[in-house]
Amino acid sequence: MSKTNDCSVDASGGCDCFRKAPLWLGVGIVGLAVAYVGAFVFGVPQHDYRPLYSLLLGTAFWASVLVGCLMMTMITRIFDAGWAPIIRRQWENLIVALPVVLSLGLLPLVFFPPARKLVWEWTNPEHVLPNGHEVGHDTVLALKSWWLQVPFFQGRIVLYIVIFSALVFFLRRWSFAQDKDGSAAHTGRLAVVSAAGIILGALTLTFLAFDTLMALTYHWFSTMFGVWFFAASMRACFAFTAVLCLALATRGWLKGLYNQAHRHVLGCLLLAFTVFWAYISFSQYFLIYNANIPEETFWYNIREFSSALVDGEWVNVKNQWWWVSLALIFGHFFFPFLFLLFYRSKVVPGRLLFIALWTLAFTALDFYFNIVPRQITDAAFPEGFYVNKFLDVSMLFDAAAFLGMGGIVLGLFLRNASKQEIIPIHDPRIQESIHYHE
Amino acid sequence: MSHAPEITSSARPAILDRIAPAELPRRPLVENNRGFHWITEKICRIVEDPTPTWWKVLFLVALFLASFTLVGLVYVVSTGTATWGLRSPVNWGWAIVNFVFWVGIGHAGTLISAILCLLRQKWRTSINRAAEAMTIFAVCCAGLFPVFHTGRVWMAAWYLLPIPNSYDIWPQFRSPLEWDVFAVSTYFTVSLLFWYMGMVPDLGVLRDRAKQLWRKYFYGVLAMGWRNSNRHWSNYEMAYLLLAGLSTPLVLSVHTIVSFDFAVSNLPGWHTTIFPPYFVAGAIFSGFAMVLTLMLPLRAVFGLHDLITQYHIDCMTKIILATGTMVGYAYAMEFFIAAYSGNPFESFAFINRAFGQYGWAYFIMIACNVISPQLFWFRKIRENHALVWIICFFVNVGMWFERFVITVSSLANDFLPSSWGYYSPTIVDIFTFFGTFGFFSVLFLLFIRFLPLLPIAEVKAVTPQADPHHGDTH
Repeated sequence: MSKTNDCSVDASGGCDCFRKAPLWLGVGIVGLAVAYVGAFVFGVPQHDYRPLYSLLLGTAFWASVLVGCLMMTMITRIFDAGWAPIIRRQWENLIVALPVVLSLGLLPLVFFPPARKLVWEWTNPEHVLPNGHEVGHDTVLALKSWWLQVPFFQGRIVLYIVIFSALVFFLRRWSFAQDKDGSAAHTGRLAVVSAAGIILGALTLTFLAFDTLMALTYHWFSTMFGVWFFAASMRACFAFTAVLCLALATRGWLKGLYNQAHRHVLGCLLLAFTVFWAYISFSQYFLIYNANIPEETFWYNIREFSSALVDGEWVNVKNQWWWVSLALIFGHFFFPFLFLLFYRSKVVPGRLLFIALWTLAFTALDFYFNIVPRQITDAAFPEGFYVNKFLDVSMLFDAAAFLGMGGIVLGLFLRNASKQEIIPIHDPRIQESIHYHE
Repeated sequence: MSHAPEITSSARPAILDRIAPAELPRRPLVENNRGFHWITEKICRIVEDPTPTWWKVLFLVALFLASFTLVGLVYVVSTGTATWGLRSPVNWGWAIVNFVFWVGIGHAGTLISAILCLLRQKWRTSINRAAEAMTIFAVCCAGLFPVFHTGRVWMAAWYLLPIPNSYDIWPQFRSPLEWDVFAVSTYFTVSLLFWYMGMVPDLGVLRDRAKQLWRKYFYGVLAMGWRNSNRHWSNYEMAYLLLAGLSTPLVLSVHTIVSFDFAVSNLPGWHTTIFPPYFVAGAIFSGFAMVLTLMLPLRAVFGLHDLITQYHIDCMTKIILATGTMVGYAYAMEFFIAAYSGNPFESFAFINRAFGQYGWAYFIMIACNVISPQLFWFRKIRENHALVWIICFFVNVGMWFERFVITVSSLANDFLPSSWGYYSPTIVDIFTFFGTFGFFSVLFLLFIRFLPLLPIAEVKAVTPQADPHHGDTH
């Protein structure tokens, strides 16, 4: 059987998108190199955690996009969704980057002790807390030590990567096998893998979020945090897919295949998960606000107030994170929600592209909000700490990390896509997908 | 709005020539190629045929059972809410448990009608009408408990609604219980509207077929002049879509606010941020279990096998499996974070929940809600309808116990060990609660007898014959 490993099959006369794989990989390597320089040349030697966070931000953002793609690959399998096969093939080519992104981003931070100690304070027994105690003598950490211990933590991170790799392997293997032999049995196998994989994936993404993000402020806890990461991932997935498919329909192999109804589906799902994200984020905030228990509220307090000396008196003033919070409320919920309510916003390519890019930008901001704010111990302040700022020179390294991880993802995507059929030609629902209409 | 796919002959991708889908036909939603006439006859005859004896017997039994609630409520009003076994520290007992249980069941109807409608899940058509009826009757049962729990029920309107009065009684707007009043009443109103509006075309059919005068008037008034005109259908479709859009956030809001009843507090075991989605998943879980509990016997009695097919049962059991697993995830997260938090009160609340004096209830909950739905992984079990019914029954029992475990175990062993106690319901609690099954059954039996059990027009719309291209040879 002939392979569709170039775009010449396209009626447009071909495209050179596959040839751009090395270019994107190059961008990825350069971007990551800059981010690594920031982390390990500027960050570690100067005991500055912030350039290390750049790597974490880039990893969290792209991992969320890919975790969303992985979950949607499985969800559309068990729902037997008729619209999905064309788009699912793009997800199948994307998710191969998930273990790579996690490995490149997390393993150096987790296994290099100086970096690990700067990023996850609980792993540094000498770190001094705002209350003057060292982490090694923290009674709260002692109560959590059954979970928060370094070898176990390292093992868990490796386990998450292994689980995601296994899911990616099986989901791709049988889908591509169907391209070759056209057997419907693969669809059944994939449904079984997906059903079990959704449970495994949900648990893995939850504990990945707990271990890598929630544990940055290890005193804090929220049962909702895993669901928040899932909601953010799904939004990121739909937004990125809308951008990618539009690009592929304009200049790539989806020309003449990706139609208005597909855009409508992605727009509707983006709207649905915009609401879901807001629901989850608001519920978490509201319940913590209303119960007003200090061991929970401090997490939101540092995202609103900082101590400042005004007329010789220490007072709480709104800090930069307050404006980030407002930007998230209005820019990450109200605006996209109202925008996506309109039918034309979901089907007119330019409008969908705009809101998808907007959503991706604010998803990145959401990760800033959840990752970066930190209590910096300083006895000069009445509470023993000050809160770091949103605007920081390390944002240059953040940009490099976002671009670097993105380059790796796109490069791997194009390289994998060039080796497989551009759409699953023997999928039982492929005709429904091609001729899908509203 | 329908749009043709954007594939024109001039820009036809070459890969389309190599498309050869593997054979995996979709399962039909109406089996045995039944025609429009057969569907109309099948559904209308349920209402039009003489009242069967089993219906009369069940109706009397249900009325008798419902009288338990009546007697229980009269006794509570005349004597006081202390007859409900509420003692410090457990000042919330079966009343809130029963309220949450019934409201949860009241979720599946609107979920099937609204959310599955927006998701274009066509299989919903055979079960949505009965599920919506179930929703409305379940919310009626739910409402009884908080209203009578106010004590002097004749003054409930002033406790619940901001009505100026000489007693200077005002609702506590900061309480989620007050938000419940607005959430549940809005949900009930919209669900009722949705249910009724969806029935109008079918009521028109029953009116047109009616032979007795009372039937002509009864269905004629309810059908509100429905004439099957193009304009009527156009307005109907638009109204249905709008109500579906409106109902969707309402479905989620109701159980979210019910979860706030607990989660806004500071009590270990109640205050946990995952409660809103966890309660919504639990409500869908119990609602679908109740739909199957009701529909499986009706399918057998009325011979509806071609309309409520194995595919419908598969879909519902898979939703029960999925939502049951979500509920299991939430239980696990609660336990994990209680341990991870390092908060000794949180840890105690959950260890006590599983191994304390109410451990038996916790393990009933886990067995029924997490373990029993896992049997639906197996096709053979999904195809054994007696087993499906039994598992769904277990799910209903498990979901009642979930609310019992949450409410009672956290209250009975709170911050002050000297006031710890063991809560037991009184006979009044038990009678009042079991009576609501009678009340629910009375309403549901009346629905079966006098209103179309399945949506005639919607079921017809998902048959192959409804496709304008049906029978095309090219």
